[in-house]
Amino acid sequence: MSAIDDAQEEAKADMTPMIDVVFLMIIFFICIEFKVLESKLNAFLPTDKGSQSTVVEPEEQLSIKIHVESKGTPDFGKKAPNSVNPGTGRPNRFRLRGHKVRWEVGPTPIYTLEALREELGRIANADASQIPDKKTGKMKLMGCVIEAYPGTYYEDVAKTNDAANDAGFEEVNFGGGLGPGKK
Amino acid sequence: MNIEKMVKEELEMDMTPMIDCVFLLMIFFVLVIDLSQKNLEDLILPRAEFQEPDDEPPENRPILNVLQNGTVVYQSVVKYDPLVDQGYGKIRQLLMDIREVGLANGTLELMDKDIGGKMTQVMKDPILIRADKWTEWHYVGEIMKQCSQPQIAFWKVQLALSEEDKETGIKNASLTRGQ
Repeated sequence: MSAIDDAQEEAKADMTPMIDVVFLMIIFFICIEFKVLESKLNAFLPTDKGSQSTVVEPEEQLSIKIHVESKGTPDFGKKAPNSVNPGTGRPNRFRLRGHKVRWEVGPTPIYTLEALREELGRIANADASQIPDKKTGKMKLMGCVIEAYPGTYYEDVAKTNDAANDAGFEEVNFGGGLGPGKK
Repeated sequence: MNIEKMVKEELEMDMTPMIDCVFLLMIFFVLVIDLSQKNLEDLILPRAEFQEPDDEPPENRPILNVLQNGTVVYQSVVKYDPLVDQGYGKIRQLLMDIREVGLANGTLELMDKDIGGKMTQVMKDPILIRADKWTEWHYVGEIMKQCSQPQIAFWKVQLALSEEDKETGIKNASLTRGQ
């Protein structure tokens, strides 16, 4: 074998380790969790206000009303309002700035989410909030109904539901039929 | 054999390993691709402060996406556009189709439920509504109203929230606890 042959053999690159590493990296990047886990809020449809033909006896519920204090202004950033994202084919989203709501728990007006949590917690711990369960006869915490007035957003209702769950209300209903209101 | 001929022979590349790898990759991607992701639109959900993550969501749960302008998207297809469609007939039809197809395929089930002393057949499986945090509530409320129609009877409605508000970057308390 000549010196030229030896030189050519050493120049051969073994691709196998590189392919192995690339393959492992691909598996790694696919398997790690990029997306943020979503959680859920269980919602109970209002059995006493729906369109079922059966009659349901009304049960005492705590009313939580959400009114709009300040409607807020949509901020599209550098995008034109109501423009479409060519990549997704969906409308460009906006951020709503300056949106404020006011809650009414019974007759009490509340202006912050923290205060709402405190008030709901106080009510949930009161003896007067216990009602008899029609099926078992045992005492249970009354349910609550969230009534979102025109101009409220999903964020407002979701946070309210979150606060109610945190206070201990397991049965949260949603009042409906208030519609979009005047534009 | 001269040197020139030997050099030409050694430059030939063996394609077999590369083809093997490509096939392996193809098989891998086909097997692991998460088809359920196509049901999820790119939305910013409200942040859940206290709700626990849905670690094992029901596989067959239908998912409705509601965009900021009230457009309803199901499995990447726009099913209702409030700017175009009058009334809520298309939402009702969509829910009826989901129910019909699900029951026919066996992915959804019915159950008996006592409503006001009368046994009524309702959907056993929940339906998930994913709406952008800045979607006006009445669009979501209308879907819930349609869900309660006797011919649809999706009585378990779930509202999607996120552990992190991707708009503000604020995370759920369960994620920041202990930091």
